[in-house]
Amino acid sequence: MSVNRKRAAIIGIGAVKVGRYPEKQESELALQVIRDALKDAQISSRQIDGLFTTPDLQGNIGLQTNLLCEYLRISPRSMAEICCGAIAGGLTLKYAADEIQAGRIKAAVCYGAVREGSIGWFKNLSQGKGWSMIEPTALQPYAAYGIIWAYALSARRYMHETGATEEDFALAAVRNRKNAAGNPVAAFAKPITVEDVLRSRCLSSPIKLLDSAASLDGAAAVIVVSEEAARDLSPHPVYLQGWGLHHDPSCVIPTDNCSTSISHFKATREAAKEAFQKAGIRPEDVDVAEIYAPFSSHELIIPEDIGWFQNGEMARALRRGETDITGRIPINTDGGLTSRGHPWAATPLYETVNIVRQLRGTAGPIQVRGAKVGLMHCEGGMMNNGLVMIFGRD
Amino acid sequence: MTSKPNFLKPTNLESPGAVPFWEGLQAGKFLAPRCGQCGELFFPPRSHCPECLGDSLSWEELSGKGFLYSWTELFFAQPEFDTPFFLGLIDLAEGIGRIAARISAKTAEELHIGMSVRIRISKPVDGLALYYAEPSRPES
Ligand SMILES: [Zn+2]
Repeated sequence: MSVNRKRAAIIGIGAVKVGRYPEKQESELALQVIRDALKDAQISSRQIDGLFTTPDLQGNIGLQTNLLCEYLRISPRSMAEICCGAIAGGLTLKYAADEIQAGRIKAAVCYGAVREGSIGWFKNLSQGKGWSMIEPTALQPYAAYGIIWAYALSARRYMHETGATEEDFALAAVRNRKNAAGNPVAAFAKPITVEDVLRSRCLSSPIKLLDSAASLDGAAAVIVVSEEAARDLSPHPVYLQGWGLHHDPSCVIPTDNCSTSISHFKATREAAKEAFQKAGIRPEDVDVAEIYAPFSSHELIIPEDIGWFQNGEMARALRRGETDITGRIPINTDGGLTSRGHPWAATPLYETVNIVRQLRGTAGPIQVRGAKVGLMHCEGGMMNNGLVMIFGRD
Repeated sequence: MTSKPNFLKPTNLESPGAVPFWEGLQAGKFLAPRCGQCGELFFPPRSHCPECLGDSLSWEELSGKGFLYSWTELFFAQPEFDTPFFLGLIDLAEGIGRIAARISAKTAEELHIGMSVRIRISKPVDGLALYYAEPSRPES
């Protein structure tokens, strides 16, 4: 059996501005970003033999690949609509890379397109969709709207254990907003201050409106090919150097025992450890990172879990600007979930698009100078699972 | 006096793995399942033992004692709730699991992580009695 152990590479990216597109079908958003990604890769849709996408919880469940194969006139040899909470977008890349490395396919489209802002996640939840994540009997009677309350319990516990304050959380929201102003596809560009965040409407203490990611519409696509093809086709391929994946035995809030932490998360730690090991690098070798933090509190928790900081150190790091674009580990240079906006299933692909721009050196005002190694993190449930990918350029 | 239930009707009221738990509350008891195959006492209730996947369960009354592991004040909730209200995450004293429950406190100052709490059972609303938590009175 001959297996190509060489790396998979991203050679094309496309993303629409995060916002609201009530007039469009999800497939229309998908076609738009796939067209842009193909154009960016300078290849034709005829060359695509792999198609991987995220779940469409609004309607075409499990049948998006049918629709797209006809609309794109393609005949892939490998395809899947991947559903695994919010890491699904990241998993499309993982499975495309696996298939390319196994030699089954040559060029894959990975995309996510959602209209959560126009249709509404809460509407889905109230119709019972997505309820399995709140199925455990110990969570049911008080599971108010979505899972903001779960993240709030996590944030409060983190404050208790580390001494972090609501002002520290606000600093992360302010950093994200400042970065978003330089990202053409970000939803929110108007500057905010720590005071603005602290005075914004409280949703579930300590989480307030400006600490939170907005559920919005969006679509992003990337083209993944083999290392050989990338060298032939692309002036600036970005290689997948390693990835790590882990699921903790827990569902949203871990209620099955009294020992699982909700202030730090094992799934993130294990996924990061595996990714660094596979890529053969250490956390400090990362030049630019995208992390999946739906609330500003988790902008502090996740970097500690990935290994850039000890538990409780992130508050000081934020004050010192260590995670700013000019800092030692720039995080969420595109505005993150809170300011780029959060079309949930497409979010890991938006993160990847920004890492590719950064490693190509084409990120404009948010460019991290000389960035060579990028990290993308995404998670599902409440950090119950995690996926970490390390990207690099030659 | 409020007319709101202040809880959501559970979606698994008729599920085999949860019926004895919800029925227990109607009888004033806070129950957990014990596996008839391997002896594991577990929480939250569900249809199959998480240790051996056995489904022959007996039900035991818990102490109803616990410790506040974390809490939040919710301002944003379905119309079933009077807002704001406090939600606590409680480690059961038996050490077998956690439960998320509305906690009866008037101000955030009454709540301290690690404090002792008691699981209480509400008066029935729409024929359904559910649990909530109450800070324990200091031992005198
Ligand atoms: Zn058992």
